[in-house]
Amino acid sequence: MIWKIVLFLLIAFVSIAGITFPIVAKPEHWYEFPLIMGLGENAKIIFFHVPTAWLTVIAFFMSTVYSIKYLRKKDLVDDIKAHTSAQLGMVFCILATITGAVWAKFAWGSYWSWDPRQTSIFALLLIYGALFALRSAVEVEEKRAALSAVYSIIAFITVPFFIFIMPRIMRGLHPGSADDTNAGTVVNFQMNGNMLLIFFLSLIGFTILYYWMWYVGYKSMLYKEKLNKQYH
Amino acid sequence: MLEEFLSKNAIYIVMIIVLIVWAGVFGFLLVLNNRIKNIEKEIKGDTGK
Repeated sequence: MIWKIVLFLLIAFVSIAGITFPIVAKPEHWYEFPLIMGLGENAKIIFFHVPTAWLTVIAFFMSTVYSIKYLRKKDLVDDIKAHTSAQLGMVFCILATITGAVWAKFAWGSYWSWDPRQTSIFALLLIYGALFALRSAVEVEEKRAALSAVYSIIAFITVPFFIFIMPRIMRGLHPGSADDTNAGTVVNFQMNGNMLLIFFLSLIGFTILYYWMWYVGYKSMLYKEKLNKQYH
Repeated sequence: MLEEFLSKNAIYIVMIIVLIVWAGVFGFLLVLNNRIKNIEKEIKGDTGK
């Protein structure tokens, strides 16, 4: 129970700090964030947008790990764990797309401009969307689990390329693109110590939240399957 | 008066809304977690009989 209270307070603190701490040209107090060229007030999105993108990668990675585990042991519990993680990955991917689009409206003037980063996340949504279409098309449990495990492994190969490589080697509007001369990549942001601390607290908080959501998700799916088998 | 308050404190209103949403998500997860624990106990009780 203690870790749940810590999680609640952690994300509440990140939300309060991330939203209300002012951005100033020369920070003098611990609660002030530095002005980052090219981002301005919009820089505050990193406390919420980057963790959702980070969790997309973590969730799809976990889905792949359990897919490999399923193929090795043929245990349907691993399939449920992989499926739950893929579902969460999809949710966070959609959240990253929406928060990114809202940010783009204020930073670039339009919600969607087919920037390499936007195009790559759209491709990722299509790739993982197909995984759920595949799952719903196969009724035999073992066959569905095996097919989606193989698909999930193949799909994850594209994730590092779409999230980390392609948007950085191509010219674009997103911070960290090949021709970016302002903010740079997230890890190179000109953040001061406090901003960096809140950013990493946000990453930690959201990662714990993902783990809890995944645990609740796979347990509920597992018991649903068990009870269905028991009473039918 | 309300309009003036909202325009001057918009960021705090955003913060309050975000906190309410977070409290809702957290509470929902807590309820689900407890329900799962109860089902887990029931299933274990059934198999133990």
